[in-house]
Amino acid sequence: MKNFNLRDFGADIWERSNRPVRVAIVIVVIGLVAMMPYAGAGFLATPIAAYDAVIVYPVAIFVLMSLGLNIVVGKSGMLDLGYVAFFAIGAYTMGFLGIHTSLNTWEIMPIGIGLAMLAGVMLGLPTLRLRGDYLAIVTLGFGEIIRIVALNVSWTNGPNGISGIPMPPDIGPLKFRLDDQKVFFWVVLAMILMTIWMIRRLSVRRPGRAWEAIRQDEDAAELMGVPTLKYKIWSFTLGAAVGGAAGVLYGSKNLFVAPEMFTLNVSILILACVVFGGIGNIWGVIVGGVILGYLPDRIRFISDARLLVFGLVLVVVMNFRPDGLLPRKKREKALVKKGANS
Amino acid sequence: MFTVFIDQFWQLTISGIALGFIYVLIALGYTMVYGVLRMINFANSEIFMWGTFGAIVASRDLFRYNQTTEPATGGKLALVLFIQLFAAMAFAAVVSVIVELAAYRRLRARGTNRLATLISAIGMSMVLSETMRLMTDSRPVGSPRILEKVILTEVWGAQIRLDTLITIVAAGAIFIILERFVKLSRMGKAIRAVSMNEDAAKLMGINLNRVITVTFLVGGLATGAAGFFYVTVYEYTKFNIGFTMGLAAFTAAVVGGIGNIRGAFFGGVFLGLAEVYASAILGTQWKAVTIFIVLVLVLLFKPNGLFGEAVQQTRA
Amino acid sequence: MSKTLLKLENLTMKFGGVTALNEVNLEVKEGEILALIGPNGAGKTTVFNVITGVYQATSGSVLFDGHNLVGRKRFQITGLGVARTFQNIRLFGDMTTLENVITATDVHKKSGLVGSLFGTPRARREERENRTKALEILEFIGIDEYSDRLAKNLPYGVQRRLEIARAMGTTPKLLLLDEPAAGFNPQEKVELATTIKKVRDAGYTVLLIEHDMSLIMGISDRVAVLDFGTKIADDSPTVVQNDPRVIEAYLGVPADAS
Ligand SMILES: Nc1ncnc2c1ncn2[C@@H]1O[C@H](COP(=O)(O)OP(=O)(O)OP(=O)(O)O)[C@@H](O)[C@H]1O
Ligand SMILES: [Mg+2]
Repeated sequence: MKNFNLRDFGADIWERSNRPVRVAIVIVVIGLVAMMPYAGAGFLATPIAAYDAVIVYPVAIFVLMSLGLNIVVGKSGMLDLGYVAFFAIGAYTMGFLGIHTSLNTWEIMPIGIGLAMLAGVMLGLPTLRLRGDYLAIVTLGFGEIIRIVALNVSWTNGPNGISGIPMPPDIGPLKFRLDDQKVFFWVVLAMILMTIWMIRRLSVRRPGRAWEAIRQDEDAAELMGVPTLKYKIWSFTLGAAVGGAAGVLYGSKNLFVAPEMFTLNVSILILACVVFGGIGNIWGVIVGGVILGYLPDRIRFISDARLLVFGLVLVVVMNFRPDGLLPRKKREKALVKKGANS
Repeated sequence: MFTVFIDQFWQLTISGIALGFIYVLIALGYTMVYGVLRMINFANSEIFMWGTFGAIVASRDLFRYNQTTEPATGGKLALVLFIQLFAAMAFAAVVSVIVELAAYRRLRARGTNRLATLISAIGMSMVLSETMRLMTDSRPVGSPRILEKVILTEVWGAQIRLDTLITIVAAGAIFIILERFVKLSRMGKAIRAVSMNEDAAKLMGINLNRVITVTFLVGGLATGAAGFFYVTVYEYTKFNIGFTMGLAAFTAAVVGGIGNIRGAFFGGVFLGLAEVYASAILGTQWKAVTIFIVLVLVLLFKPNGLFGEAVQQTRA
Repeated sequence: MSKTLLKLENLTMKFGGVTALNEVNLEVKEGEILALIGPNGAGKTTVFNVITGVYQATSGSVLFDGHNLVGRKRFQITGLGVARTFQNIRLFGDMTTLENVITATDVHKKSGLVGSLFGTPRARREERENRTKALEILEFIGIDEYSDRLAKNLPYGVQRRLEIARAMGTTPKLLLLDEPAAGFNPQEKVELATTIKKVRDAGYTVLLIEHDMSLIMGISDRVAVLDFGTKIADDSPTVVQNDPRVIEAYLGVPADAS
């Protein structure tokens, strides 16, 4: 037990199971998570905002965005400090089209994702050639620029923001209501599951290898025939797509968007979630998003100082446990275990 | 659109130069640390912000100036300004050294994981700005007027005010002093040796940790001095002023060729002018956007700066 | 006479004031093992860097299999059939041995991100082909028992061999090996020499940088010698070994210094 590691513990259970057991585990876990909105009465209740709202935003949306940012930071090792920009683009797309057209949330969703991806490509094409820290500062600037643009152009309604954004239309018996956010939670959960599916798929195939190679040694990757710029742009753009999707959902849940919601702080919060849980590891990132999304609403002290806490999280985790709670470290298969026992 | 620009060209030029000199000093902070670490110090913008508070703490809490006090004159004026400058530099230098110890040192000792170091630095800058936000209740903090902003003379219709003149002269002097320090002193030579070739410098028996600490210290002094001038000219500060000032000064450092100390000077002045002119033409709300576009263009087309010499980059 | 696979013409590479390569001409024939030797700092690695597009030559041209490589992107050069190893090992440490090689085999595959995401038949087939091919290569090089180990945890000698295996993963026509035996003991060197011969016999052309004279004498068909960026000899091993200019270039420099 000396080197207990939750990730390996989970992976062990997973590896020992056969297919039906795995399917059962997945269904049970998803089912349990889907019941979360009903679990708010006791210990989990949040003193400041309503519990069922808190688990949609920040918690679930943070998890979704962290998964998206993790594609960029964790998988391919590029520091994107302007992730909020894509979230803002999604939210504003929802706001603008939601009040100016008759399109509903589900119809706006692909448009929001598309625009976020477009922004990702437009920012990525020139800047992803830059070295890591330059990329970081350029994305940092970009995040703020989007906010400043939203503040100063007329169609976003400047500092007043866009209000009166419509809720999503009901899905059969599932009704979206302001005072009952269960359905929203399930929708975000569905998006999270889709994102996980996407990342897992890509991770074990060519794009995942390309990202991994880029993260570890970009020049060597390029010399082994990996078109690094292309895969970097893909990574950036997929991250943007997830951020855009989160933004559309957020706009449609919040019914109101304004520039002050999209500050640099959001980018940092999401980065903290990624880093805290375990950079590069899906499960770690989810745990990070849940904990850092939830705690500030549970513990009053943290809610005032949440950014301070998150900043500290970044410094402390990087310095003392750079792999976060659940490290990415891949396990070596059988051969090593034998070796380790001897 | 252009009328303001043309009518006020000389006035704009003067304030652009003054602003540029502030950028020069912050850019010096970025450039010096970059030289030894080969990494952008994301926390430098917040070090600057802390410097501005240093200046205000000195005048407000030490000399008990407030919004209704008469501005100082004569010897008292010089004394207060000097103590303010000293306080700003000291605040910033202390914060800068703390940043190095808390965010960089451990990671450096462990090896070269650039991503972790960058994240640690960005976390540190969050900690600095949030601490200040909580201490000031997110409110702007006005600086009592120490210096009567008298108009000294007019040149081509442009007024030259006392605070502008002091900024240009004093910031220029501080820049020269620091530049000479790096050029001539033993420690400065060690810093430059590390910038050129870290391994060789280590072989020559240079204590790397000490050199890096001193670099952060000197960078902090420069950046803090900029904080003082900022307060003298604009008479206010806020926990979040670091971002735009930092972005601009970093852009200045890149324009001058990052790592190149003299380049920081030209870059700073260039950026001060560019910002003031662009604001006059496009409106001040687009200031940050203009800076950002300049930064991206320079990084893309002249990554070694407009003035700096080309640095050979090594790849495989 | 077999056909020329690679031809360097008047290749010059300057770094500021340093001339690392000076008007170098070199031909590599299909199917041969050509050794490139020279004292430390002679410019050997620079030759590799210019061929593979890491550096842009100051002047001169690199002709490979009917293409001029100068100005091409690095991954495109690899796609055309040039692959290299690194003098200072640069594996993808957090990947397994097998994944290291599969990353390289991807270069000739058609399916991209969308195909991988939706698991198109082609993407699945290519994944299978990659795996099979990578395992074949690992077996060929003799390190298949390590295929599930993380590259960073491999013994040094295996890492060096994996460098070769990974380069072979790109199905190169020309294999550039940069001091593959560095740090090996005599026994390991002999084994490596056998492997390199085997690689050549499997149809690859090899350009090899090496310091160990006995290894070179044993396996190379031809030896080219660089000194201060200039080619001073280019002939059969025995001729080169007795060339007074070569002896002079090496004088005082132990042959196995690296
Ligand atoms: N990126 C670079 N910038 C400046 N000089 C360089 C660069 N790369 C190589 N050089 C110089 O070019 C010369 C040749 O270097 P190279 O690495 O090709 O030598 P080598 O023959 O491979 O030596 P070794 O046997 O030590 O590997 C050296 O003087 C080296 O300092
Ligand atoms: Mg070499």
